Amino acid sequence: MPDQAARGAAIVEYQHVSKSYATARAARGTPGAVNDLSLTVPAGKICVLVGPSGCGKTTSLKMVNRLIEPTSGRILIDGADVAGRDATELRREIGYVIQQVGLFPHQTIGANVAVVPRLLGWPAVRQRERAEELLALVGLDPALYRDRYPAQLSGGERQRVGVARALAADPPLMLMDEPFGAVDPIVRERLQNEFLRLQAELAKTILFVTHDIDEAIKMGDLVAVMQVGGHLEQFAPPAEILAAPASEFVADFVGADRGLKRLSLTRVSELALQPVVTARVGDPAGDARSRTLADPFPYLLMLDASDRPIGWVSQGHIPATGSLAASLATPMSPLLDRRTTLKDALSMMLDADVQTGIVVDRTGRLRGVLTVEAIAAALRPSADPEVISSGTSTGGTSAAPQSGADA
Amino acid sequence: MIDWGWLAGHLDAIAYRTWQHVYLAALGVGIGFAISFVLALVAARYRILYPPISALAGILFTIPSLALFAALISITGFSVVTAEVPLVLYTLVILVRNIVAGLDAVPAEVVEAADGMGHSRRQRLWRVELPLALPLIVAGLRLATVSTIGLVTITATISDAFGGLGHFILDGYHLGYFLTEMYAGAVPSIVLALAADALFVRAQRRITPWARTRATEAAA
Repeated sequence: MPDQAARGAAIVEYQHVSKSYATARAARGTPGAVNDLSLTVPAGKICVLVGPSGCGKTTSLKMVNRLIEPTSGRILIDGADVAGRDATELRREIGYVIQQVGLFPHQTIGANVAVVPRLLGWPAVRQRERAEELLALVGLDPALYRDRYPAQLSGGERQRVGVARALAADPPLMLMDEPFGAVDPIVRERLQNEFLRLQAELAKTILFVTHDIDEAIKMGDLVAVMQVGGHLEQFAPPAEILAAPASEFVADFVGADRGLKRLSLTRVSELALQPVVTARVGDPAGDARSRTLADPFPYLLMLDASDRPIGWVSQGHIPATGSLAASLATPMSPLLDRRTTLKDALSMMLDADVQTGIVVDRTGRLRGVLTVEAIAAALRPSADPEVISSGTSTGGTSAAPQSGADA
Repeated sequence: MIDWGWLAGHLDAIAYRTWQHVYLAALGVGIGFAISFVLALVAARYRILYPPISALAGILFTIPSLALFAALISITGFSVVTAEVPLVLYTLVILVRNIVAGLDAVPAEVVEAADGMGHSRRQRLWRVELPLALPLIVAGLRLATVSTIGLVTITATISDAFGGLGHFILDGYHLGYFLTEMYAGAVPSIVLALAADALFVRAQRRITPWARTRATEAAA
């Protein structure tokens, strides 16, 4: 993608944008109306518009590419009012993904991805190259998919093609209206993760509409919670929405389990890890034994020569003399990555029926351990992640000098 | 029963009348399609005009063809126009309704995606909506063609110069039910209708390859 970085990302500003509908519809509760919406989406961020149906989130989205015109107010992209732009030209510069995908059934997948390049008059060769590049980017083998028709694809594959199509002309802004709403939960989860990975590279500005608060929290750098009638209730990063809902409506909407939801927002790397007594295979057993006995946590963690964890040795099983053999260690707490969310970490520990997870770096070397207590502490309202570890029962141990556990 | 000698002696005439039959039918369907296409696009664009357009086409369809010929002869004489006007008018009701139905059948999300990606109205029509309306448009053409091929025989009542294969049917009737000549008109006319229908089926399969893939998938 040679011209990927060059286009960059756009800034989107809503300035006092309202949309009201004629009285006939207004009588039925003004579905889709928007009331004095002002917010700014910074470049390169995913902003999720979330709320119950009829809250005006889709209307707000469609006013950006002028599929709907606001009754009053302005929407600026990089400072320029969209109302001053030719609507078709404007739309060709904005990626657009909808729930039902809307692939053209009569065109091949390759042609579908190249729709906007074709509208922009790119040479045929470049259209084809771009389509293949994008199919590969969303994980569909171009040789396999290029010449198929949409009816021959699964729902998940069609959604990917929809994303590829929206990216075709490398737009600095993408509008996504419930893009993963029509697929089953397992496929949705995978598409979400793939999209987040893609976005980490592309860094587009993305406006994303969903009615699913979990999806909003997962996908959003910023979340705008909207209320029926088109009122913006809160506009903040997801962690703040969960920790400090601005209104009763937001608190209700994010749900009673918002504490638990915060677990999926926090990653292991954000918590201070606890040190643990360690020894390498072949180290003198006596020294390891005395250090373990001096520690409140009654286990020794054995490492291999490269500081990769092998397993735990109960303090009673450490020989008083000789050297430590690998066979002493019993596996094993779950291995956690620093990118693992607390939700996944907790789930892995519960699955393995243990209280402690071992955190390793990318090469598998020990970084420290994470306990269920530390996660519980992170859940407490207004918990400051930096303070958590010192308050827990297994804290305050001495890390073995050779452990390399410098957490 | 069949007078083979008559048939052998009239091969040239049968060939000529067959050709005339095809010509009259093709002209009628062709002009009818052109008019219907414009009317359907207008009706699809300005929805409020669809009911009157559709109703008018329906009313024209109810006029008896013999009455129409009689009325037209006083205006356009014994010309090909007199023969074609009823043929054309009778195609409108089928074609207009099928073209509009075809455009209506384009899924809403496809139209929204087309708009959202920046198609102009004209680009959306020609690149997205009309291709997707093709199956219903072709279905309309099939029906209109088969019925027009049947109707061409009636034009024999205008004069000997028209009627296509219908000329033999009418002539055989006037000769006191000369069955051989009547068969010489009716049988090729039926064959023409069947052949035209088969041709459209093949053409549709060719121009809508995407519709075929579903069938092959299911078969695989």
